[in-house]
Amino acid sequence: MAITEDQVRHVAMLARLGLDDEQIASLGVELNDILVQVDRISALDLADIEPTAHAVAQVNVTRTDEVRPCLSREDALRNAPQQQDGAFLIPKFGA
Amino acid sequence: MAKDRLAEVLTRWEAVIGLEIHTELTSLQTKMFCGCPVAFGGEPNTRVCPVCLGLPGALPVPNELAVEATVLAGLAIECDIARYSQFHRKNYFYPDMPKDYQISQYDVPFCLGGHLDVEVEGEGAKQRAERSGVTETDAGYVTRIGVTRIHLEEDTGKMIHVGGSEGRISGATHSLVDFNRAGTGLMELVSEPDIRTPEEARRFASALRLIFLSLGISDCSMEEGSMRVDANVSVRPWGQEAFGVKAEVKNMNSFKALHDALAHEIVRQADLLDGGGTVAQETRHWDVAAKKTSSLRGKEEAHDYRYFPEPDMVPFTFDDAYIDRVRTRMPELPTARRDRFMRDLGLPQHDATVLSGDLALAAFYEAAVAAAGVGRARQVSNWTLGEFSAFLNEAGLQADGAGIAPAALAALVALIEDGAISGKQAKDVFAEMAKGGGAPEAIVERLGLRQMSDAGELEAVVDRVLAANTGQVESYRAGKTGLMGYFVGAVMRETGGQANPAMVNELLARRLS
Repeated sequence: MAITEDQVRHVAMLARLGLDDEQIASLGVELNDILVQVDRISALDLADIEPTAHAVAQVNVTRTDEVRPCLSREDALRNAPQQQDGAFLIPKFGA
Repeated sequence: MAKDRLAEVLTRWEAVIGLEIHTELTSLQTKMFCGCPVAFGGEPNTRVCPVCLGLPGALPVPNELAVEATVLAGLAIECDIARYSQFHRKNYFYPDMPKDYQISQYDVPFCLGGHLDVEVEGEGAKQRAERSGVTETDAGYVTRIGVTRIHLEEDTGKMIHVGGSEGRISGATHSLVDFNRAGTGLMELVSEPDIRTPEEARRFASALRLIFLSLGISDCSMEEGSMRVDANVSVRPWGQEAFGVKAEVKNMNSFKALHDALAHEIVRQADLLDGGGTVAQETRHWDVAAKKTSSLRGKEEAHDYRYFPEPDMVPFTFDDAYIDRVRTRMPELPTARRDRFMRDLGLPQHDATVLSGDLALAAFYEAAVAAAGVGRARQVSNWTLGEFSAFLNEAGLQADGAGIAPAALAALVALIEDGAISGKQAKDVFAEMAKGGGAPEAIVERLGLRQMSDAGELEAVVDRVLAANTGQVESYRAGKTGLMGYFVGAVMRETGGQANPAMVNELLARRLS
């Protein structure tokens, strides 16, 4: 399995990472090494193995529909680089 | 948009429409994966916590009632409920989504493969029925719209774009994000592309809304965005099997907008193709003021959401016992209620449909019938749909907030039926009730409206009137029977309009024969 530079660029775009050509090349190598490791699983005969959705063998874990305390707005906005009128202020984006 | 234009286009092109309907589970106390309260509006970022803000390390736990609500919705439209289901992460970036992924469902949603029968009447319905081989009815036709799936996910936050025109993102200098809505339980229903006209789309969406309202899972307000309808639309020449290229239309916040946007988009696509052009696969925004759709994004990126199983939550299994337990919560659905009104209460289809189409009005009506007795169900319906509905419309009120108790309307109907007041007097009494004038019996006393129905009393008046009009009596007996109206009028004048008209007629006829 070999990952192409175009695929690395596509994944970088999806993750909104701005990478230069050098980083694309080196990350391509690293991603390939990871995929080679994962690829070893393909050598195993897994025909009779159920896919595992979760490492914990439990189902139907829910909570009751009861209100719990929220954060204060001050705390909620504590990490916001910018705020205005109690809202997170974000720079111009999109169109 | 001329209606004729759509009709003309639909003679040459067949429209193919599928809907995606998002419904917020507003009747729940809390959000989908955390204990923050569910409400509309309010000060920004006051109903948020580490889970719905997507803070590192916060763990989501599904709301059991949100799961139940979705299963209930699926059962209501005859979906198969999954035996095994789970949440997935849908990965994309947008500023209104704090985690940079939405917890949603992918290949194993809670509900699969239901359907809803949609009834269409009115202009053009017959032609449509003939053309498409759907089931014809007396008033139009019934068409079955398939439901592909219903899944559960979480809603996003809300953004206000500042500095642009009319709050649109284009031209904005910056945006403000409020996460109060983020993480609210959101049910997404996807229909099959079985819809063929804007009217069918409107009826499908409104029938679903009425079902969800009946289930008590959402307030389904298109205006406030707790029910949002997006449409995939394409056109193809009649007889062609393959679908045309579809556009997705968004931002319809009323049923009328849904209808108008689809009508516009069908004509737009047909015009493009008629002119030798092609339809672009894109998302289009309905502008209700300009009455047209416009392309939402310049460049459409292929979606690549990289779904994977949500590792923070374990899967679901639903056994018969669970599904049966949810089924016990199923109320009588709107069409069943309509049919019962027709069958058990003898209402005409139109009246039964109008009553069952408004939950508050239907509940009011049922309570009024309970008070008046089933024998008077027709009369109660006439008053509920007549004076009472006119009053609600005028005052902009719902049946349960109008200040008139169902028992009071039942009492008014009883006064008429028992002959205490005439139908005309009842309208005056109702006008007083609508003004908060109290119980109908008390209003009747206060206004001195009580109808004179005492036979002896009326006989005396009739005799007096006839004695004072001997000439007319002779003429009547000689064949001028048109004078009956004159005598009735004289008796009514004599009694200040309070005489029971039916009894007056009967007494006069007997005396003059």
